[in-house]
Formats: sequence, C-alpha cells, structure tokens
Amino acid sequence: MQLNKKILVAVGLLFATVIVSAQDPDDILKQLEKEISGDEKDRTDYTTATFKTTRLVNGHTVENVGKGVLDVKISHRFGNINDGGYELFGLDKATMRMGMDYGITRYLMVGFGRSTFEKTYDAFAKLKILRQSSGKRKMPVTVSYVPTVALKTIKDPDSDKTNYFTSRLFFSHQLIIGRKFSEGTSLQIMPTFVHQNLVDLEKEPNDLFAIGIGGRQKLTKRVSLNFEYYYQLPNYKLTNRTNSLSIGFDIETGGHVFQLHFTNSPGMNERTFIFDTKGEWGKGDILFGFNISRVFTIGKNKRN
Amino acid sequence: MLLLLLPATQALTQSLNTGNGIISFRSDAPLELITASSNEIRGKLDTSKKIFAFSVKIKSFNGFNSPLQKEHFNENYMESNKYPDATFSGKIIEDIDFSKNGTFTLRAKGNLIVHGVPQERIIKSTITISNGKVQIKSNFTVQLSDHNIPIPKVVHEKLASEISVEVTADMK
Repeated sequence: MQLNKKILVAVGLLFATVIVSAQDPDDILKQLEKEISGDEKDRTDYTTATFKTTRLVNGHTVENVGKGVLDVKISHRFGNINDGGYELFGLDKATMRMGMDYGITRYLMVGFGRSTFEKTYDAFAKLKILRQSSGKRKMPVTVSYVPTVALKTIKDPDSDKTNYFTSRLFFSHQLIIGRKFSEGTSLQIMPTFVHQNLVDLEKEPNDLFAIGIGGRQKLTKRVSLNFEYYYQLPNYKLTNRTNSLSIGFDIETGGHVFQLHFTNSPGMNERTFIFDTKGEWGKGDILFGFNISRVFTIGKNKRN
Repeated sequence: MLLLLLPATQALTQSLNTGNGIISFRSDAPLELITASSNEIRGKLDTSKKIFAFSVKIKSFNGFNSPLQKEHFNENYMESNKYPDATFSGKIIEDIDFSKNGTFTLRAKGNLIVHGVPQERIIKSTITISNGKVQIKSNFTVQLSDHNIPIPKVVHEKLASEISVEVTADMK
C-alpha cells in the first residue's frame, strides 16, 4: 500500500516533468524567459537617462556626470533678439559662462564656473539623494540637492561705499524632484531658495524663493525639446524682475550634447537667471544661446 | 523516498542550467576600441533533445570607455528599455553524447535576437564535457545592420559595423 503510493508519486512527478520539459527551441526559450522574469522581482532596475545632460537650459537637471568624468562646459547667451538688425538680432553681444563639472562618485558631482555677467564666480555640489527605480525597490522619483555659492566681483560704480567681501556673496539651495515618465518624457520640479547678503534697497528681501518646473520631450533618439520655467513667489522676489522662461533643444552629436535655446535670462547661475531676469517674452526680450560640453574620462573605473 | 526521486527526475529531463557565465563584446574601429562584458548570462540546455536557449540583459553590460558611452549604448543603439534582452535559442546540429567526457566542436543552429530583430544563425561552439558538467565557449560576430542598429555618420570611425562576441558558460 505504502509502496503503491510512492510509485504513484513517482509517476506523477515524471508526468509533471514531461509536461514542463521543453519540446523545441521556442519552448525552452519561453521557459528560460519565465525563470528570468521570476528572478526579476528580486532585482532593482534604476532609471537612467532621465535627461540627456546635467543642465536643462540654465538650471540643473537631476542628472549627474559619471564618476571620474570631467565635463568642460561653455555656455553663451547672445543679446536680445528685439535689438534689431543693427545688433544682428542680438548676436553682436554675448555673455558667457565657462565652467567645469566633475563626478566624485556616482551620487556626488561638484563644479565651478565663471560668468561674464557681473563677473561672477560660482561653485556648486550636486548630491543625488534618491534614485527612481522599479523592481524590488520601487521609487517614483529621483531627488537631487544642489547647493551653490556665487561671488560677484564686478566693481561697484559707487567708489565711496565701503564694500565688504560678504556683500558680494550669494547662496542658493535647490531641490530637484524629477521623474522619467516614459522613454521620451521627463518632468522635474525645482524649489529654489537664494540668500543674498546685500540688497540694493532696504525694502528688498534678502531671501528669495522660486519654484521651477522643467521637462523634456524626445523628438528623435538624439534630439529632445526642453523647457524650463521658474515662478518667483510674490513676497520673496526683487521688484521689476520677471520669471525666467527658456525653451531649447538638446542635440546629441556622437557623445556630446549640444544645447540650443531661447530664453529671457542673460544670467547663468541660480541667483542671476532665476531672480535677476528683467526681459519679457511678450515684448520680444528673447536671447538666443547655446551650451557646449566636452566630456573627458579621467578616473579609469571598470564599473561604468 | 521523495528526496531520492528528485534527482532522478532531474536526470530524466536532462536539462542543464548556466552556473557561471560571461559574455563580452568588442568593437574595433579605426579611432576607438570599445569593450564591455556581462556575467548575467542565463541559459538552458536540454541534452537529450539537443536544444538550448541563452539570454543576457543588455543593461548588465559594463566596461565601455565612459559612463556616457554606456548610457548611449543602452539608450540610442540597443534601446534596452524596449528590447531588454538579447537571446539565442536553437538546436545543436551534430550528434553528441553528453555522457562522454571530452572536448567537441559543434554547430548550433538557431535564432539570434538582438535589438528585437531575429536572425537565423549557425554558430560554432567548443563544448567541454566532464562528468555531466558542460562548458560552452563560442566566438562569433554580429553585424549591426542585420539587427537594425544604424551607425550615425559622426561615429563611423569610432564604431565598428561588425561586433565580435565571446561567450563562456558553465552548465550544470
């Protein structure tokens, strides 16, 4: 009786294996894929390439440069298009920022730059706090924190005034919350705070707040359309300043990203482009500009 | 009794799975050499029916000359979100007795799917059998144009049109 049971079990198992065993290459592939997708649940798949590069137009994206990568960036903004034909629609004027970014780890990058606009030096760090992922560990967004310090070195026209070093300093803190919704569409929200030690008028606030929204839509595999808009909170903005709006294209040319854009902001660090923009799109105060970057891999790291 | 039956049934199916495996590729172009490899290769081999299937996650390839290159490999060339795996499945052409130890050169005929595009291929492999364990080694090339992976003009000198692939897999 006991033996019969065992035989029955044995026959049953045998029968079962015959059923699950593959009959032809397609079946064995399906069986393999089933096993792999079973294991997949225990893996975490991190989202990559939310944006093509570390900048959207003027501001940061959630992206970092890789570990050991040096990214040399040269950014140009020409003059206002509505300056007319005499100024060749703004092309006769230019402000620029030269800068370098470096990836210390996959989560931390640092950078510095110098803008001709008010002869400003800036330095920043970008720390990835959360990474969007699916699978075992699910995270809907990527979150980065970008603290920046900027030093304005342009000479004060009022030479009688005592100028302290600290009055030339600006501090900004930015949180970037981004999500890649699909292969082509990504959006991010950027709450930004800037503290300036010295303001022009007593009634002007020292602390400035803005909320930014930006995104990209891929048009082809190598070209994407970007936009970036910063809304300054009414009680935390300087008078006669407008909100920064930029629209641009990322064009990837064999490893390097070339960015072309239209913006109403001549500045290229957080304080100047978000809180010191005076031009209005409606009046045609639009500037043409571009960012070019050249990437050098310095640290040789095998786990790219 | 049941525990004794388990290995017995496994022997009946004669299905081997990959233990350790590594797959690497190499693009040797005039201006740039690109190599990358993955140890996340998975495979199944049915020794009685001589049929097999192998699969590798495109995103698991590491190496490259820069992190940006890896990103472009996934995003622009392989489109690994759309086509996450490359697979090869088919049948061994020659007769082979997997119970005999030794090294044999065999041809495998099957479907190679890269970038979602299947190509029927006959790929030569060296198989070493020792006491029921099987090691497979294989070198072959993949034409990018066969799998609908275009090379943009600006990287013509940096990316080979024919990629050489090397696979080693231990099956048990």
